[in-house]
Amino acid sequence: MPPAALWATLRESVQGVNKPRNQDYCEVAGRGTAEEPLIMAVADGHGSAAHARSHLGSRFAVDLFVEEARRFGALAQPRGDERPPSLAWLMHYAEHAFPRQLVSAWRDKVLGNWARTSSHEEPGLTEEHKVLLYGSTLVGAVLTPRVFAAWQLGDGELTVVDDAGRVSVPLAPAEADLGDETESLCTPEAWLRVRTHWAPVTAPWRAPRLVALSTDGLSKSFASDRGFLQFMAGLDDRLSAEGAQTVRAVLPQWLARASQHSGDDTTLVAAWHQGAPPAPEPVTAHGAPAPDGAPDPDAVPPTDHPAPPTDPHGRDE
Amino acid sequence: MANRPVHFIWLLDCSYSMQGEKIGQLNYAIREAVPEMRSVAQDNPAAQLLLRTLTFSTTARWHHQDPVPVENFTWQDVQVDGMTNLGEALQLVARELDTPPMPQRALKPVLALVSDGVPTDDWKAGLRAVDATPWGRKAVRVAIAIGADADRTVLQEFLGNPELQPLDANTPKQLAAAIRWASTAAVKAASQMVAGATDPLAKQPPYAPPVLDDDDDDVW
Repeated sequence: MPPAALWATLRESVQGVNKPRNQDYCEVAGRGTAEEPLIMAVADGHGSAAHARSHLGSRFAVDLFVEEARRFGALAQPRGDERPPSLAWLMHYAEHAFPRQLVSAWRDKVLGNWARTSSHEEPGLTEEHKVLLYGSTLVGAVLTPRVFAAWQLGDGELTVVDDAGRVSVPLAPAEADLGDETESLCTPEAWLRVRTHWAPVTAPWRAPRLVALSTDGLSKSFASDRGFLQFMAGLDDRLSAEGAQTVRAVLPQWLARASQHSGDDTTLVAAWHQGAPPAPEPVTAHGAPAPDGAPDPDAVPPTDHPAPPTDPHGRDE
Repeated sequence: MANRPVHFIWLLDCSYSMQGEKIGQLNYAIREAVPEMRSVAQDNPAAQLLLRTLTFSTTARWHHQDPVPVENFTWQDVQVDGMTNLGEALQLVARELDTPPMPQRALKPVLALVSDGVPTDDWKAGLRAVDATPWGRKAVRVAIAIGADADRTVLQEFLGNPELQPLDANTPKQLAAAIRWASTAAVKAASQMVAGATDPLAKQPPYAPPVLDDDDDDVW
């Protein structure tokens, strides 16, 4: 009999009121182990006439994030006898190489889609205008036994409930965009606008209790940030009290109600940690990073020019 | 959970030059436009349309100070009085566009300016105050120039977008059409729930000004 899954996952998306199609896309995969990192992503295609193919842009964004996240998971915890890279090296990779590779892959993908699906009789568009048609936001996260990393470009929320029950939105911008404007994958040099969350996991029971990714259709259905945070705390409470199966059953109704208020497509993926903390806790320095080697100076590029770093173990991208 | 508000603010020139038929037509046109605004609001159940009116003459004052949901909104005629203190009116609007009192989670507000003359105070300072607020910069703006004496340069600057033009209302019929358009198209533009990149490439004209019939003999 296989061991019980460490994480219970939720995934739901509802179409906005009066919208011809749902431009959100989402994915949740993996078990949170070294072999199968837990990967979650949501993307929100902009949907206006200027972004007529954004429903494809959001799908490509999620699919490519999953690919990049699997690569990141393999880097974080290589198979066999290979020595894992230091956390410092991984953090640098997450902050600089990952966003650049993801945005580059997304641009290649949408331009390829344009080339394959557009009539030669269509008026000549610049590369930037073609990319604009696919505009989308993205929020993605990876959980391995060693690290929890997340990335965000544009609106939407990454919500984390820690092991003490504190709710936070670690990737919230210092000043939220007003109205419906947002940063986007279609913005030139979009990788520079990606926000990164980085948290080493020092012990299995120190991992977040709940990680939720949602598009702005959910947060904008609340009159204030406080209401949104209360919703997320309530989600954590319901999961604790009634389990994931019950919440999965009611989640479509909750999101549909939110969508009626925000008027937008509304998508949420979440992972709830089912592992109970051991008692008593071990006597170690809480929050101290797991021991790791010093960063390889040859492998870490200068921070003023963050080109994709070279993998110290010969896994050049 | 709550629907997202669209704050619509009329800024109405009530100087002496509006006396007589102009103010009568203005009152009539807005009263007639209210049902159409309700209809637009009903088409977008996730948005809550809230109306206010500010008049400016020798002083600027709120005619409807508190935001009124469109379904409860009833028009009370405005009266003429004195000068054209647009700057003071814009200063009052700027205060309302700060957060607070404006919520952070809202749709773009609409500022609809109707004038037939030349401002008699420091209107540029008022416009700077509006532009200094986050919601002021994002607001959907429409401007209606009543008659040949209206200062279109001022109205153009208020619009803050070279792709947009003030709407000319040189006859009662054109004024009615302009008010109707401002009441509906601008609300639709503000309540469109579509995100867009802030990249200049993504900027689209928010709405197309209408072509107004001009077959009316009664030219102002």
